[in-house]
Amino acid sequence: MKNILFFLLILSIAKGIGQNKQVLYNFAELPQTLLSNPGTEVKYKSHFGVPLFSGFSMDFGSSGFVLTDLFSIDNNNINDKISFVLNNLTTKDFVKFNSQREIITAGFRVDDAYVSFGFYKEIDAIVYYPKDVITLLNEGNAAYLNKRFRFSQLLYKADIVGVIHAGITKKVSKKLTMGGRFKIYSSALNTESIGNTGTFTTTEGTDNIYKHYLNNININIKSSGLVGVDDEFIDQPSAYLNNTFLGDNLGVGFDVGATYHITPQLEFSGSILDFGFVHHKKNIKNFTAVGSFFTEGINLQYDSNNPKNYWQELSDNFEEQIPANGNGDSYISWRPTKLNAAMKYSFGEKRSEICYDDTYKIFYTDAVGVQLYSVFRPLSPQLAFTAFYQKSITNKFHTKLTYTADDLSYHNIGAGFSAQYGKVNLYGMLDNILEYTNLSSANSLSFQLGMNVIFN
Amino acid sequence: MKFPNYTSILICFFVLTSCYESLDFKQLDNFVSKQDFTLALNYFSLVPSQFFSSSGVPESQISDITNIEIFQNENLIIDIVKIDFNTAIKNGFDRDITITVEFLNNENAVIYTFTPTSIASKDLNYRYLEEIEIASNPDIVNTSKVKITVSLENSGTPLNLNDIAKFEFKSSMTVYVESSF
Repeated sequence: MKNILFFLLILSIAKGIGQNKQVLYNFAELPQTLLSNPGTEVKYKSHFGVPLFSGFSMDFGSSGFVLTDLFSIDNNNINDKISFVLNNLTTKDFVKFNSQREIITAGFRVDDAYVSFGFYKEIDAIVYYPKDVITLLNEGNAAYLNKRFRFSQLLYKADIVGVIHAGITKKVSKKLTMGGRFKIYSSALNTESIGNTGTFTTTEGTDNIYKHYLNNININIKSSGLVGVDDEFIDQPSAYLNNTFLGDNLGVGFDVGATYHITPQLEFSGSILDFGFVHHKKNIKNFTAVGSFFTEGINLQYDSNNPKNYWQELSDNFEEQIPANGNGDSYISWRPTKLNAAMKYSFGEKRSEICYDDTYKIFYTDAVGVQLYSVFRPLSPQLAFTAFYQKSITNKFHTKLTYTADDLSYHNIGAGFSAQYGKVNLYGMLDNILEYTNLSSANSLSFQLGMNVIFN
Repeated sequence: MKFPNYTSILICFFVLTSCYESLDFKQLDNFVSKQDFTLALNYFSLVPSQFFSSSGVPESQISDITNIEIFQNENLIIDIVKIDFNTAIKNGFDRDITITVEFLNNENAVIYTFTPTSIASKDLNYRYLEEIEIASNPDIVNTSKVKITVSLENSGTPLNLNDIAKFEFKSSMTVYVESSF
């Protein structure tokens, strides 16, 4: 219980810095939009990101409660506040954290195609609140006769990966631009517990007062990169950092995307990101427990001719019925695949900008549209629906305002800008900006910023 | 020179408008988590023939003993504040029966004994609760074995070896835990 609260607390403290990539999607032809849609139209000749500063993003979200629910300075008892929060949590509530930092990124044009590549590091974690397990640990089973405490609610996934990527974006026709990106994942850490089953129930017994059931237990916890060959936790940050670049646990994946102009002013775009997996085979530490068990306690026999070690029998029986094993078996973890789709209608003042081939492209100063974003999470896909308005104040300064409804908020307003001064491009985005009036009560915050050098 | 101006305005806007409500994380010092765990304990069913030795000699009392390793976990016992032992007994015998429950440590020394319980003959709904406050009985957490002795009261008539009457004993334990940060 203490560990769970401490973990949540650590994540909660990080909530002041976050990001939502719906704001970035298809925005101002930034090089980073190629990572959210490799089929984004690109009009510049080449670019490179300022090393370590070209892209930095963070995203934190917590459904179910916010910091002020627990720690606001009021006259309410902390025990009551924690009980209230725990009672109101649902099995769909979760806490998530994502952070990406681009180390290098660059791109150049080859005829009609644009080749981009780079390396970034990503931390991605999601933990669903196992309400039944928390209730059992926090209150015990005495008040919950006949209640089935479900272990299927144990559900989490955490990754630290380095991603080497290379992609190509090609203008297929006047209307259609398509792109793809190949990725090599290097996992520094993965731990996940997915697809668990089983219940714990206490009922009135027949031979004894109570009977305890552990039914259909199938619990698995997988980890790689967390425990070393000496069976000790790896606590050196440098070990994790080193393994993000072509370490021992590698995987592959790809992104695909497209942009299609239905009319000169109406555009559809979509992408699939991180369709891939990592094969974990080094520093593996897995745990499994499978089986069913029930007991009514210890049945004394009062047979002096045949004395028994009852406790040992009970213990042996438990271990036989629900064997708990550790192993170092390799396994595959799937990346959290994302889907993007957007429809954009451009209007307003017509302007022209120079393209890589010294031609001029007409663009409109304003645009409105909608976006759909989905990420596949262990419990179910998480969706975000965004409406946006884009405004190019000058040819070099673009802004975007978004309104997003997702699992965490129905009133998430975000804003972003992209500004170019000479060849230097600077961009920044904030999401859920209404929450900035009181960060302590925010359940979702995110930001993204970076700096590029772009050559037209 | 518009770029620095716009950027400055944007940054200033969020710096000036963002704020947070003061929080008091020290409230956690007052947090007490209370858990009540109920566990099935020992049970048995006896018939009169079990009060005769293999050579057929009647015995007025029999005992059995079992290890209890729940209290070997130091992390668990440190937060236990109270233990309730519940028993439900049916005495179908033709005489009163006394139950003695003793908690033993590793050296088989008695560290706690239930108040001896006498169950009247044919009492089929006898219930008994033993409440143990840990603060008053700190040695209870050193329990590693439980010995239950069943004694027949003398009714003046010998026990019938072939009687099918039963003596049934059921028990459970409720452990009250209070933990804090």
